[in-house]
Amino acid sequence: MSNKISHQGVSRRHFLSSLGFGTAGMVLLGSYGFVIRRDHSTGTVRAIAVNFDECAGCRTCEAVCSAYNHMESVNGRMVNGIGNPALSNIRVYHYNPDIDIPSTCALCNDAPCVEACPVDPDPETGYRALYRDPELLTITNDRERCIGCGSCADACRELRAGIIRSNPEIGNPEHMCTLCGGDPQCVKYCPFDALSYVVMDDDRNLDGLSPRKLAAKMIEKLYNIRVTETQL
Amino acid sequence: MSTKGYYGRMLEVDLTAMSSKVTMIPDEDIKKFIGGRGLGTKILFDRLKPGTDPLSPENILMFMSGPFSGLPIPSSSRTCVVTKSPRTSPLSPQFKSGSTVSYSNMGGFFGPELRFAGYDALLITGKAEKPVYIRIHNDRVTIEDAGEYWGMGTDSFDKTFHREVGEGRWESCYIGPAGENLVPMACIINTAARAAGRGGTGCVMGSKNLKAVVVKGNKMPNIARLENYNDLLEKVRQSFMKKDEGVMSWRYGGTTDALASSSRAGTQAVKNYSEGTFGEIEKIGTEANRKEIWKRDFACYACQLACKKSGYAKGAYNVQVHDSPEYETGTMLGANLLISDLNGLHRLIELADDLGIDIISVGNTTGFLMEAYERGDIDREFLDGIDLTWGNVEATIELMHKISKREGIGEPASKGVKELAGIIGKGSDQYAIHVKGHELAAWNIPVNSDSWAVCYATSNRGACHMNGGNARRQDSACLRDSLGACSFASSWYRGELQYQNFLKAITGLEWSDEEFNRAGERIFNLEKMFNYREGFRREDDFIPEKFFVNKFTFGEHAGAIVDRAKFQENMDSYYEGRGWHKDTSRPTDETLGRLGLSFTI
Ligand code: SF4
Ligand code: SF4
Ligand code: SF4
Ligand code: SF4
Repeated sequence: MSNKISHQGVSRRHFLSSLGFGTAGMVLLGSYGFVIRRDHSTGTVRAIAVNFDECAGCRTCEAVCSAYNHMESVNGRMVNGIGNPALSNIRVYHYNPDIDIPSTCALCNDAPCVEACPVDPDPETGYRALYRDPELLTITNDRERCIGCGSCADACRELRAGIIRSNPEIGNPEHMCTLCGGDPQCVKYCPFDALSYVVMDDDRNLDGLSPRKLAAKMIEKLYNIRVTETQL
Repeated sequence: MSTKGYYGRMLEVDLTAMSSKVTMIPDEDIKKFIGGRGLGTKILFDRLKPGTDPLSPENILMFMSGPFSGLPIPSSSRTCVVTKSPRTSPLSPQFKSGSTVSYSNMGGFFGPELRFAGYDALLITGKAEKPVYIRIHNDRVTIEDAGEYWGMGTDSFDKTFHREVGEGRWESCYIGPAGENLVPMACIINTAARAAGRGGTGCVMGSKNLKAVVVKGNKMPNIARLENYNDLLEKVRQSFMKKDEGVMSWRYGGTTDALASSSRAGTQAVKNYSEGTFGEIEKIGTEANRKEIWKRDFACYACQLACKKSGYAKGAYNVQVHDSPEYETGTMLGANLLISDLNGLHRLIELADDLGIDIISVGNTTGFLMEAYERGDIDREFLDGIDLTWGNVEATIELMHKISKREGIGEPASKGVKELAGIIGKGSDQYAIHVKGHELAAWNIPVNSDSWAVCYATSNRGACHMNGGNARRQDSACLRDSLGACSFASSWYRGELQYQNFLKAITGLEWSDEEFNRAGERIFNLEKMFNYREGFRREDDFIPEKFFVNKFTFGEHAGAIVDRAKFQENMDSYYEGRGWHKDTSRPTDETLGRLGLSFTI
């Protein structure tokens, strides 16, 4: 099974915005694109936001992400796959005191994962083995040129959310959000409206994206219990 | 290659030999018994000698998933724990350890994760020399030392263990001190709150020196007709996502809503089942909790209802609330004990969960002792000095600690009301509210007695509120528990979306509606035959004497009582409808033959 999503023909360009505890506990995951491109038709930047106050931890988002991004061929037609959550690009982590933290690629504006890639930029495209898709600004891997060193995964884990997991066999990076080609399935199917695709402000802080850090913040906010990241 | 939608693989762990192996489920059993509760009972029937001591290494503790487990079919997250009960006994024992089948169903993520690891079932036999836990990571199965965790409450285990394994992605279930100490009414807990509460599952786990099972995996079984399945899945999701009143009220109140509505209807267990209405129910109901306690609603795997409520209770006790009160826990430790102190109630529920005790049984047993104390059938000395008066939170806390250690009064009380009534005598068996040794749950009988009396009297695990009040409902409950589906969501699975259509798409096999329903009937009858073999007869299908002699005195339903003759009549027609002998309650050979259960004869 591989990613069968076509990136062609998507007219809107998508941008993710910043993390911060704003109104109503809305926490925004994601960042500007590496190169800022605005949607020409509306002049606004849209992005995926996680509202941790609403997430019920059902993991429906994992199932639909996996089903859409890992389609299967049935009688020559590509249809949604079975939805194995292990293949999902969004992951929900649970903690005690009770909190669930959905976590997906933040599309960081400075993309430390891309920065960490040791493969020399292609003279024509300027891409390393990890690069931004020019249309969607998603983090994309060039499997042909990737040497499977895992530097990108390390960078993401140490500096951001720990989204990238290396393929256990060949080491190439996996689980970067594809934005489902512009129709985010996780947003569409989240039963609790905890995920949305919204217009964003421009500035944000990319520290503290790790699920544990977010969990600690939410636990204090909800239950007034102070826990450190290492206690979770 | 097994039936599609299943792996056909069971992981069998022998804790005496400290070894594990994978065995295959016969395809024929899948078609006939589906999974979960049904398949578990089949295994138990095949493998256990009649009269096996439930706490012996021979007993099998099974964690059964169903064919829906792990698939994102909304509200299909259930794991059914099946074993031989340490709670039940017939009136006229034929064996020293004759007891019923026990099945207990828990929500959460465990069953789905077991499937992700590549198994339809986990069977545990034997007894480890020292406390251990089982760690399952796909094909890698290890039995690990649990010495450092032994003695931990379920909440601290949950916190400590998951911190140590890291990453918030393992699923686990475990026992608390009660299970370790072989308290018969001990339960198995997951996510520090969700429980395979009934039927002494935690006691069996403790008898194997097994503190916990933890699992993580990355697989999925195949689906036979993926397009067909996707289509059904889309439709059922859309029907939930309309967010009609049904969905929204589960989210707002969960089962807690029933505290007030059942109380109004006179169907609540109040004051050891003496009343059906609790005058102070609003103090512990949905609105009070929404206002003061609850902060978040939580869902099980792929569930859209999110009936689990977490929060923080401040007051005389500071309580981290994982899931309370729901209808059963709020009634059994609230209304049934005349406790309306919300903070105290949360403390009791949290304590019972932390110790790993079945809240239904412990609430029922406490109510029984409160009544015995009030009547003067026991004195304070009998209670080790605990002043166990109605509504007394502190006294209930003390009693619960003693039960978890089986210390003093806690020793007989840990065995429940049947045992206690035997010791106390003085006619206390009349108000010992159990069937077959298993305590009744939070739904009271007299109002709607036609349904509730049959429900409790005929339940195959001993008194059970989820059993169903007639044969048809009982058979559908068997099917739900075998598929891995949650009963709270069943009303969304109607017409085109009924369960069998999902099952057919998943497996590619055919079940006519009749065949599918017959599988439910088969499962119920197999349980019955297991119990019959253990020595249970018609006389064991009773309801406690209190219901025939006690009239409600309070509320709109004052005067309600169960009519003895009517009850017997209902039971006769129940047996008749089932094709069972009226005198013994045994299914007739013809019935067994019709259901493909001739092997039980
Ligand atoms: S689908 Fe929505 S509610 Fe469910 S885990 Fe994902 S973000 Fe949370
Ligand atoms: S993979 Fe990680 S580091 Fe790279 S953009 Fe996504 S969240 Fe940021
Ligand atoms: S694993 Fe591949 S993409 Fe990631 S840093 Fe190494 S070469 Fe670049
Ligand atoms: S937008 Fe698509 S790829 Fe990204 S997390 Fe959501 S479902 Fe997965």
